[in-house]
Amino acid sequence: MLAYIVRRLFLMLVTLFGISVIIFVLLRIVPGNIVDILFDAAGYVDPADKANLEKELGLSDPIVIQYLKWIGGLLHGDLGYSYVSEKPALQEILPRIPITARLAGLALLFSASIGIPLGVLSAVHQGTRLDYALRVVSLSGLSLPSFWLGLLILMASVSMLGWMPIYNPNPQTWAEAFAIYCIPAMAVGFRSAALTMRITRSSMLEILRQDYIRTARAKGASDASVNYHHALKNAVLPVITVIGIEAAFLIGGLIVTETVFNIPGVARFLVEALRWRDYPIVQNLVMFIAVVVVVVNFTVDMLYAAIDPRIRYGD
Amino acid sequence: MAVINFDAELKRAGADATHGWRRLTFLAQRYLLGTIGLVIMVLFVAMALSADLISRYDPLAVDSAHRLAAPNALHWFGTDSFGRDVWSRIIHGARISLAVGLGSTALGASIGVIVGLASGYLSGWVDLLFQRITDILQSLPLLVLALVMTAALGPSLPNVIIAIAIPLIPTVARVIRANTLALRELPFVEAAKSIGMSEMRIAFRHVLPNTLAPLIVLATAQLGSTILTEASLSFLGLGIPEPYPSWGRMLSESAAEYVRVAPWLVIFPGIAISLAVFGTNLFGDALRDILDPRQRG
Amino acid sequence: MRSVRALAVAALCWLSAYDVSLAETPKSGGILRMYHRDSPGSASIHEGASYSFNVPFMPIFNNLVIFNQHIPQNSVDTIVPELAESWAWSDDKKKLTFKLRNGVKWHDGKSFTSADVKCTFDLLMGKSQQKFRQNPRKSWYDQVNDVTINGDYEASFNLKRPQPALLSLLASGYSPIYPCHVSPAEMRTKPIGTGPFKFVEFKANESIKLTKNPDYFRKGLPYLDGIEFTIVPNRSTAILGFVSGKFDMTFPTEVSIPLLKDVKSQAPNAICVVEPSNVATNIIINSSAPPFDNLDVRRALALALDRKAFISILFEGQADIGGTMQPAQAGLWAMPKEMLETIPGYGPDVNANREQARKLMQKAGYGPDKHLQIKVSTRNIPIYRDPAIILIDQLKTIYIDAELDVVDTAQWFPKVARKDYSLGLNLTGNAVDEPDQSFYENYSCDSERNYTNYCNREIEKLFDLQSSETDPEKRKKLVWEIDKKLQEDVARPIILHSRTGTCWQPYVKNVTVMSNSSYNGYRYEDVWMDK
Repeated sequence: MLAYIVRRLFLMLVTLFGISVIIFVLLRIVPGNIVDILFDAAGYVDPADKANLEKELGLSDPIVIQYLKWIGGLLHGDLGYSYVSEKPALQEILPRIPITARLAGLALLFSASIGIPLGVLSAVHQGTRLDYALRVVSLSGLSLPSFWLGLLILMASVSMLGWMPIYNPNPQTWAEAFAIYCIPAMAVGFRSAALTMRITRSSMLEILRQDYIRTARAKGASDASVNYHHALKNAVLPVITVIGIEAAFLIGGLIVTETVFNIPGVARFLVEALRWRDYPIVQNLVMFIAVVVVVVNFTVDMLYAAIDPRIRYGD
Repeated sequence: MAVINFDAELKRAGADATHGWRRLTFLAQRYLLGTIGLVIMVLFVAMALSADLISRYDPLAVDSAHRLAAPNALHWFGTDSFGRDVWSRIIHGARISLAVGLGSTALGASIGVIVGLASGYLSGWVDLLFQRITDILQSLPLLVLALVMTAALGPSLPNVIIAIAIPLIPTVARVIRANTLALRELPFVEAAKSIGMSEMRIAFRHVLPNTLAPLIVLATAQLGSTILTEASLSFLGLGIPEPYPSWGRMLSESAAEYVRVAPWLVIFPGIAISLAVFGTNLFGDALRDILDPRQRG
Repeated sequence: MRSVRALAVAALCWLSAYDVSLAETPKSGGILRMYHRDSPGSASIHEGASYSFNVPFMPIFNNLVIFNQHIPQNSVDTIVPELAESWAWSDDKKKLTFKLRNGVKWHDGKSFTSADVKCTFDLLMGKSQQKFRQNPRKSWYDQVNDVTINGDYEASFNLKRPQPALLSLLASGYSPIYPCHVSPAEMRTKPIGTGPFKFVEFKANESIKLTKNPDYFRKGLPYLDGIEFTIVPNRSTAILGFVSGKFDMTFPTEVSIPLLKDVKSQAPNAICVVEPSNVATNIIINSSAPPFDNLDVRRALALALDRKAFISILFEGQADIGGTMQPAQAGLWAMPKEMLETIPGYGPDVNANREQARKLMQKAGYGPDKHLQIKVSTRNIPIYRDPAIILIDQLKTIYIDAELDVVDTAQWFPKVARKDYSLGLNLTGNAVDEPDQSFYENYSCDSERNYTNYCNREIEKLFDLQSSETDPEKRKKLVWEIDKKLQEDVARPIILHSRTGTCWQPYVKNVTVMSNSSYNGYRYEDVWMDK
């Protein structure tokens, strides 16, 4: 077990290192840098000024040196300074994390509380009209672009309620707090709920076919007891894995949803920083996202292994 | 990877289905949702192919006299702020979405197959290397990677296809690798080896055809998500640039300005995206049921 | 003596403006909530070249002089003192002296003196040790030899030649006085001013907060307790926010005409004004390479434009046709209509113009069987992209098949500088309705912002002539002549001058939107809320 964990941790580091190289190189391929953008506002570039600024920002160093400087800083907890705001990148990124985390947490909660029960229901009633209807609903959930859903929600809430959920860091009432977080969370969570439901359904089905369930049934256990006691307990395992997959899935949805609802979280910040060619922000944010995904996957695997004794710690 | 035996299935259902047409109708009933999905997909493909014939206007033609017209007999889906016909733009937009969907799925899948085969068949350091690359690509959300890629490559149709294809590679490679590993141990591969067939030939002649079923299932499932990713990229202003009538682009920026004056500008492209993705998802689901019975529900 | 007269007029205007505003007794208190259209690159107005900087940060500062904040049409006659108590031109018109206000304090408690004035303009002229990262309006001070001080409360601008326009430039929202004791880098992140509001915080892509300066030198002002900007880049989300009452005011001059209709139907009580913004949508032409090195092709392009169609599509009819200078009524220097219509392409009969254009194209070797293939480059921003789409459609009428080439902001300027384009769609905003600013910046041979490299030494002489002309009527005639010549040369065809809307809730009082600039009207010291 220990050897397995150590090996996984080592591979995690390799992955993160690879990501850092890829993201760094990709950003250097991007045509145009922050200096071009800053001067763009001025309407012209003085070559000497441009060279000075590039030097000041360390952009004229050889690419390997730039990379080493970044990684060196990162290992000491120094993320560098945002090119645009000139504030420490950490200071720019940190306060935005809880906002996105809250949103993601609510979206996961939403998707689990809708997806799991509906998935079970669908599996238990396999082949019935209810199952059909639920499958169609979940598929259409996966088909709706979350930004479109967000736009429709905004449109509807303004024309019907004369009011809209716009982000406010200090919500005055509970209703406002609910609107600010829960409505966007639902817009994102809708797709995750559909995904959760599908996976719950199929893993539930698989378990319902297992021998011990049949045995339980043969012994005369009631349907409800079999379905909800024996089967669901075991079906939860694969659902945990889904959360791992969803961590990555959610971030994509959060990017567009934070844009639509104007929520100043990390996801939208990434798009903005990319537009500004604010390398220190983009690099560190992408690394942050990667760390989250990698750690979540690792934790899920460990959890899975801890719960399910059948898993062997090999490859 | 046994492909389902239709004849057996037909017999079991008690249908007198020796005739080709009957077989089809039986299958259509058996997999009703999948058939609906297939029909939707075929309709979209037909729409894209015949866009020039069935669109009533040039999708780029500006008409200052008929701006923001509500849907009517002349403009079925209304017009946008430039007086461009929304119906014609959606039809031409189908080309973009399909080009991106099919293009990036095909590109991602073929690279994924090569990587997966090589990784599963050759093992050793090749496998190790490819595995790590797959790990890396899978640790970044699809949209994040595509965002950075389009920013790096610049917004154009081929670049968007590449940007969306690359994140697909690991998903495909993983499945192909797992299948290849399983197949390698099977007797017929052993047999091929014993008669002195080259590794390369075995991989392509024997292993690849047997991984086709899961590949098709996977590719169809990915098709919808590539269309959605393109729409999201375009919505964020990093996808296919104007003047191409991409569905995602039609929903972004300036279109969103007219959200309440001209709701048809938001409603129709959104429906087009959702319907196209819904179609591929339905079809993909049925295909999985048919080709990959282990997952079957 | 003129200066005395100007001062008197200015004082009168100031008083009369006060009369109007005092019709209701202003109430103190309240935080004005606005949205901001994007996240400005920094908090330093001098290093910005967009009014995204002026709107949120102008309330922090004061100028030497400023355009009266309650007269929409900025002109030299509406200039009023701010940090200066008075000003005077020397007899040879080559020295402009300001007497400064006593007892003004910076937000950090230090006293404001003439040294701060000198520091600010030395920085702008590139004469000081410290440097701006970028200095987009350096050319405004090309005619200034140096700034000298006499004691703590007098500063003089010494000019190379007479330039009456200098005073107008100094009165722009772009010309705040910066403190000597704060570095340019700090001014980008934590600006210190003397103005009615103090800087609290600026969170990129999120918000900008200002709070009341209780020690403001105008006693009793400002009325507001603070101003908060929420950054909302998505226009429709922003408008929805205003309509639903989340914001007291929209971002100034950012509500497009179609959105305005939306606002009016959703929030019938909102007060909205539409004013010209002195932003010209124009075409930059690469005349150094084929095909546009051929004057015939350039003329054909000018003749192909259906300006009315642009205006009806983009502004629902609410925009103006003109030359380089902003059209009347709001514009001070516009050519008379009769003169304008004699310029090729400005005549009312579009079909006749295009017929003529096709003849020119045929002369250049193109025709129905041989179309000219080009790209129209522009930035990936709707206000740039949208007119480009229409332009491409119109070029079809004169055998030109154009393709849109959307360029990322980071690459746009380098691309233009490399001359890697044939036609570009561009927007030119003018901070001050002043020929010196427009002509030198956009058309003089050596200007960095003359993207097209249009260079005509004859015309350049006329630029200097009008600039040093002290008789306003004579100067106006000269400006008309220059403007007409620039259009006939197809130096940079002007498609239209935009108008935009600003809206606020009925309880917001004393907001005036300028009619010939979007850069100058945001001091907000006497804005108040009846709540």
